[in-house]
Amino acid sequence: MGLKVPYVTSYLSEHFADDEFGALQGYERRGGYQAAKKALREMTPEQVIELVKTSGLQGRGGAGFPTGMKWSFMPKDTPKPKYLVCNADESEPGSFKDRILLERGPHQLLEGILIGAWATGASRTFVYVRGEYAQPAAELQRAVDEAYAKGYLGRNVMRSGFQHDVLVVRGAGAYICGEETGLLESLEGKKGQPRKKPPFPAEYGAFGMPTTVNNVETFCHVPHIVSKGADWFRSFGTEKSPGSTIFGVSGHVVRPGLYELPLGTRLDEIVFEHAGGVPDGRKIKGVIPGGMSMPILPAGQLDVPMANEFLRERKTMLGTGGVMVMDETTCMVRVGCVIGWFFRDESCGQCTQCREGTGWIHKIMQRIERGAGTREDLDLLLDIASKMEGQTICAFADAAAWPVQGLLRHFREDFETHVRERKCPFPASFEL
Amino acid sequence: MPRITVDGVELEASAGRTVLQALDDAGLLMNGIEIPHYCWHPKLSIDGSCRLCQVEIEGFPKLQIACNTPVKDGMVIHTRTERVKRAREGVMELLLIHHPLDCPICDKAGECKLQDYAFDHGLKHARTVEPRRARKKRVDLGPTIVFDQERCILCRRCVRFCREVPKTGELGVFDRGERSVLETFPGLRLENDYSMNVADICPVGALTTKDFRFKIRVWFLDDVPGVCTGCANGCNVFLGTASNKVYRYLPRRNDAVNETWICDAGRLSYKEIGAADRLRESAVRGEGGRLEPASAQDAIARAAARIRRLVDSKGPGVVAGLASAHATNEDLAVFKRLLEALGTESAGLVTLRGAADALLVKEEKAANATGARALGFGDPRPLLERIRGGGIDALLVMGHDVLDPSLLGGTEALARLDTVVLMDTHHSDLERVAHVVLPARHAAEKLGTLTNFAGRVQRVRPAVEPAWEALAEAEILWRLGVALGLAGFEGRFDARAVSKELGQRWPAFAGIDWESVGDDGRLLATLVAGGSPAAGTR
Repeated sequence: MGLKVPYVTSYLSEHFADDEFGALQGYERRGGYQAAKKALREMTPEQVIELVKTSGLQGRGGAGFPTGMKWSFMPKDTPKPKYLVCNADESEPGSFKDRILLERGPHQLLEGILIGAWATGASRTFVYVRGEYAQPAAELQRAVDEAYAKGYLGRNVMRSGFQHDVLVVRGAGAYICGEETGLLESLEGKKGQPRKKPPFPAEYGAFGMPTTVNNVETFCHVPHIVSKGADWFRSFGTEKSPGSTIFGVSGHVVRPGLYELPLGTRLDEIVFEHAGGVPDGRKIKGVIPGGMSMPILPAGQLDVPMANEFLRERKTMLGTGGVMVMDETTCMVRVGCVIGWFFRDESCGQCTQCREGTGWIHKIMQRIERGAGTREDLDLLLDIASKMEGQTICAFADAAAWPVQGLLRHFREDFETHVRERKCPFPASFEL
Repeated sequence: MPRITVDGVELEASAGRTVLQALDDAGLLMNGIEIPHYCWHPKLSIDGSCRLCQVEIEGFPKLQIACNTPVKDGMVIHTRTERVKRAREGVMELLLIHHPLDCPICDKAGECKLQDYAFDHGLKHARTVEPRRARKKRVDLGPTIVFDQERCILCRRCVRFCREVPKTGELGVFDRGERSVLETFPGLRLENDYSMNVADICPVGALTTKDFRFKIRVWFLDDVPGVCTGCANGCNVFLGTASNKVYRYLPRRNDAVNETWICDAGRLSYKEIGAADRLRESAVRGEGGRLEPASAQDAIARAAARIRRLVDSKGPGVVAGLASAHATNEDLAVFKRLLEALGTESAGLVTLRGAADALLVKEEKAANATGARALGFGDPRPLLERIRGGGIDALLVMGHDVLDPSLLGGTEALARLDTVVLMDTHHSDLERVAHVVLPARHAAEKLGTLTNFAGRVQRVRPAVEPAWEALAEAEILWRLGVALGLAGFEGRFDARAVSKELGQRWPAFAGIDWESVGDDGRLLATLVAGGSPAAGTR
């Protein structure tokens, strides 16, 4: 059937157009599972962790935490079984890279998981797949079954004596279950609510056992690092953010799709060269660089390399690499309404600021959009956002506050026009 | 032991404790160091969700919640900085955007943490123009509790309480985000033996007890420290009193006894104090065989005359005493002295047994069985045998528990006695065979001490004054001793002096009296083995 979405290949997605790559045989024919064999047979767990540390691989789930360091937090001497969790909940609006990694390269993921398991001493991996991802989950399950049949999973992985099991678990579609401890609660069959820290998952994770949670894409980089080395990996990307990543480009572009590019690729290059720019000769207005929870950048600030060290200077982050492009017809207050509604709907409701702040922000956004807002409302929005930011159990409240701050930082004029003209000056492009 | 500094106050904390726990351990929390909090409760697991207890800790870039941050040696904590102030203001404002602002008609007003903290830490005006969330009012959660969804701030203390203390887990927070709502799980009612504690730990007016709600504004209540007399556990309580009436018991924290809890039956046992069947009149049996009203003084004189006559004619051995485990140590000590002064050894202790649980409720359904045993009252069965066999002519009896089927099962055996002197708080069949009836005081109406099952001596004091002439058993017996002219019974009754003598006369009570036990109680010097056969089984 081939792959229909536009893409640019690098090592992760090199074979994604190739239907055989999803099957174990096809994967192995293209060099698959050699890295796992190398790790299990020739490397100690410490060497693997050291290699991943040297490679500089950062988590690709949004926070960008160094993967090798995270693995090293797993306790060495513990009588408890240790677990890995692969976060395949991909719920950040604007992000759809993990889906393709699951559908087109499930064995690449499994190989990464195996190496991670070897490095951390984990006996089991739970892959928590977003509820809506029926097909990706089915593809992964098929690959897991193949791997068991081949002896790549189970009691004696690759005849090395190492034991590892992989369980594919389906979520039910809540955004918050993408937060690692919300995910753990959901995995245990409980309501998806993030846990307070401490204790951290490395100490008390899934079912109370030491646990490391990594994103799908993070695992997928690992076999390549093990086969080709840290220096090779560092030849992609920037000094501080090495490797490639898969950018999901959506919105007002000619060629929305997935683009695997080195970290540090400029945002304008992604939008204009790879995704073909804004259609029908319209002008670009703003771009959310990394999924909906990341602050937006205005048209004039797109000359930024897509790596956290550069994005931070512009008060935004790489997030999950979900690039959302908006052209000049976009009403940024409406954007605020959409974002506001999303977070209002998805907040788990534990922490006061998040439970109450998200709803209030949405209501104020709606009021401004209706033309009933005041100038004071603009500052009130920022005040609420500042009272939510950095004060809750998980980063959800930050994720709800940052976009508001970004919109008001760069598009205050849109908000002021609504207040001044007592109506939305943009043609209604979608229902609220 | 890690040392931490909070607002310049240095204190030693136990390892593994969090900042709030360490302050609570040191007795400083809300008692010198004010860290407002909703979801945290000293006796429940940590939730960390209300976010009100955020403090600034040196070395941490973000504010940290004091309830869940483990102490570390050298930690320096600030609770009054601008950042902390602003964070509290934020939490308070957000908690109040939907909460009804109708304190004047809320039953929690006056003891509401939302009200208190809003005054102390909140903004002075509302910035919301949107309508407030409408939710269900007066939800009937179970037999004891009514729930107002609009007032709930979702701290989940009640949820954790039901899961962790009675372990019944009836409550949960359903749905998510601002739609989150507290409910009972499908098919369940909030129905357990400790259910009413959720109203105490509810920081707002969301959960109220059917028993107390809208009876009185709490600022009219005095909180008098006392002890629940429902069983041998002796849970510490505050008696909420106004206009000489007890409106409620609230559990009073005592980590050695009841932590911060009380069972529902015990909580409601305050109703005994103002019950309609309280014995309100002294009486003596007249010529015609009928009980006739008398003053306490006359009734005591009559009792003394009857006893004197019997002792003189048959010797003191025919006089016996049946002590009650409801009486105080002081009552019982005077009783013991009286019996000794009369020269009789015929005595027994009546205490009833019932169901116990693993939490607080004890098998013995009286507050002072352990104290009674320590004072030498024991198994009543030999005495009851002698009564049945006609070997006793006069009986001084406290209370009417002896009529229980496990003991006498009725008044028949007592009807043959020449003299029955009854001291009791409530009406019973025992009056039918009594020759002298004297209203006694409830533990909430007198000064004295009670010894719980574990030997902890705890004090009670008059929280209310009976509207009729009632005397503590100790005073009745003292006056009887005076009327009988017995050695050691001189002068006016003095409750404190009697309490002082406890330790002097009874080695088990060494160093113990009403003053010295304080409001937290003190253990007996030596414990008389509990579970004595002195009791019947029900």
